[in-house]
Amino acid sequence: MGFTLYNLIEAALLCINAVAILSERFLSKLSGNANINYPNVGGYGVDNQNSGGAKQQLLTLIRSVRTVMRIPLIAFNVVTIMFLILFG
Amino acid sequence: MSSDGPIYRTTNYPHPQQQQSSQFYQPTTPSPQSQASNAHGGDYTVPNPQSHNGFFSPQTAFYGSSNQATSSIEFLSNNPFLNVGFNVVEQGMKDMTDKTINMLPNQMKKSLSSIKYYFAVDQTYVIKKLCLILFPFRPRNWSIGYNADEPVPPRVDTNAPDYYIPLMSAITYVLVAGLVLGIQNRFTPEQLGMHATSVLIWNIIEILILCITFYIFNIQSKLRILDLIAYCGYKYVGMITALSSYLITDSLFIYRLTLLYISISLSYFLVKCLRLQILPDIGGSQPYNTNGNTRRIYLLLFVVLLQPLFIWYLTQHLIIP
Repeated sequence: MGFTLYNLIEAALLCINAVAILSERFLSKLSGNANINYPNVGGYGVDNQNSGGAKQQLLTLIRSVRTVMRIPLIAFNVVTIMFLILFG
Repeated sequence: MSSDGPIYRTTNYPHPQQQQSSQFYQPTTPSPQSQASNAHGGDYTVPNPQSHNGFFSPQTAFYGSSNQATSSIEFLSNNPFLNVGFNVVEQGMKDMTDKTINMLPNQMKKSLSSIKYYFAVDQTYVIKKLCLILFPFRPRNWSIGYNADEPVPPRVDTNAPDYYIPLMSAITYVLVAGLVLGIQNRFTPEQLGMHATSVLIWNIIEILILCITFYIFNIQSKLRILDLIAYCGYKYVGMITALSSYLITDSLFIYRLTLLYISISLSYFLVKCLRLQILPDIGGSQPYNTNGNTRRIYLLLFVVLLQPLFIWYLTQHLIIP
């Protein structure tokens, strides 16, 4: 098993790093090139229950994670790198 | 008075009665008499019934007065000193917890009170729920009772989710895992800590995956995250029974059979519980497009399928012969 809390933190950090690295062009290409201006564009019917569809939700999630975690991610990465250098 | 030995001894007899009632709130005044009696050293000990107020109650009972609390239990409940002490400690603890609770931000206060809802269980609920998890196949009503748009606490309604069973069964699972390892001579105390950590971590991962899936598929349901945590915790009961069956019979066949049965009954239980909360009402008036319904069904199946997977994975590494 060998799962420690540190493993979880490391995995989470790597995943969020991966999300932050995605290029903006790639994302706009995925979202049909209209997400920049309109917040509510989707290929499906636009009633309140289903506004967006799965793809739009995923892209919204990715965008919000990037916006929120941009600055704290720098701090987390620096701290983790220091820990790894010092304690192996 | 302090110099009269025999007279002091005989006058000692009525003292406990009349002084005990008045000396409770003046603990300092008996001290000269106690010093006096100690100065007599060699007399059979007058153990200061005035100053210690029946602390040596068997000896004061020896004096045969009828007014005192003769048994120590009555002494404990009648003695205002102890009552004062208990009150002070109780007050201090209440202040401490109040201060720590008030220091938290408002949202955490709300979550604290909503978590308290999940711990409002009693014994009949626990027994019924355990029997339900292990044998959910009898026809019954699975709907959750509501009281003015608020879910009813688990004490009243057997169908409500709770945190007591998942928490206790998770802890028991760690202990049973230690037992299984010990029987195979693979046990070290660090294993216990490692198992507890991995239980926690797998729980967190599972809840995260489910929450993200709920969000991505844009499903708005009555199911709160806290409820989901409770429902995901019911698989530890199954894990414990599978491990215990392996412990008792020490045969892989029985273990796999129990695992299969646990997976089936847990899946059935979860489908019945979550069906009313994730899927829309059958006679509902909301104009859902069919995509929403299919997605919900898939999500429900996903939740239900994750559980046996976790059960198998988390017990597999213990059973390797």
